[in-house]
Amino acid sequence: MKNEFLDGFVANMPIGISVFTYGSVLGVLSTQKGVELFELVLMNIFIFAGSSQFVLVQMWDNTLDIIAMITAALLINLRYFLVGASLNPLFKQSSKKEKFKYMHFATDESWAITMQRLKSQDITPKFLFGGGVCIFLTWFVGTVLGYNLGEFINDPKIYGLDFAFVAIFFALALSMYKGKQDITPWIITALVAVVSSLYIDGNFYIVIAAIVGSYSAVILHKRKSL
Amino acid sequence: MSSIDLNALIIIFFVALGTYSLRVSGLLLSSKFVKEEGDLKLFLDYLPSTLLLALVVPSILKEGMIGLVAAFLIFLCMYKTKSILLSLLIGVVTIALYRNFFL
Repeated sequence: MKNEFLDGFVANMPIGISVFTYGSVLGVLSTQKGVELFELVLMNIFIFAGSSQFVLVQMWDNTLDIIAMITAALLINLRYFLVGASLNPLFKQSSKKEKFKYMHFATDESWAITMQRLKSQDITPKFLFGGGVCIFLTWFVGTVLGYNLGEFINDPKIYGLDFAFVAIFFALALSMYKGKQDITPWIITALVAVVSSLYIDGNFYIVIAAIVGSYSAVILHKRKSL
Repeated sequence: MSSIDLNALIIIFFVALGTYSLRVSGLLLSSKFVKEEGDLKLFLDYLPSTLLLALVVPSILKEGMIGLVAAFLIFLCMYKTKSILLSLLIGVVTIALYRNFFL
């Protein structure tokens, strides 16, 4: 068996470049929102889940809405439950200790590359760990660099950087399109989001619209199969 | 320490704890909890995309007409290239050009 940690690390390097770029965008946005560097670093180390960090930074304001922010970030990260479940074949020979140790490093990117490799090669969790560390480093360096460069940008609105959040999330949402059955739940989500954002203070409309939209998908699916 | 800093630490702590718990419990409970088919699985499948859409749609409308134009260009870019980075660039550049030359 070769060095699987290194294999995983190298296999994640190409995707690490885009992680680096996203990270620097988050760093720039963090300075605009008044997030302290140590807060960004804490998030990088202990949360280590890109899209939820974007959500937290976007919701960052003069007053922090604790419940809404925790709920929104954890709802975004709910998919990690399924990511974990799907990694069961990789960890079938592993001790509990190994599971606790390596799972923190399962990100969208390292997970996707591990699952792809698992199809053709008999790899161990060290591959996932190596990939996770690669993503961790590129993410960390990207965010901190962006944070420091961002301080020199006086008026980020001129560069359209505040729209970067919207652009990334919209593109990510579109990348999740699986077929016609998605269209109606997505339209329902959009409508509920727009209407509830007009009537509800703070950011809780995000959670409400997501739950209604996802639930509408369940109902629509049931109606079709009846 | 101001109350904002304290709130920030509370939020980071609970999101970190929750995210790690999700990662580990998914693996530990594995297929016992979420069946191959079922309402819960379907609901969870849709959650990332609905959550992201809920987040962006009001922001796109708030931007006005140019927000809709940018969103449409992102849609076209994703349809043609599936590149999230390129879509990000197109969206940001569209908004930046508009703000610099048309406002």
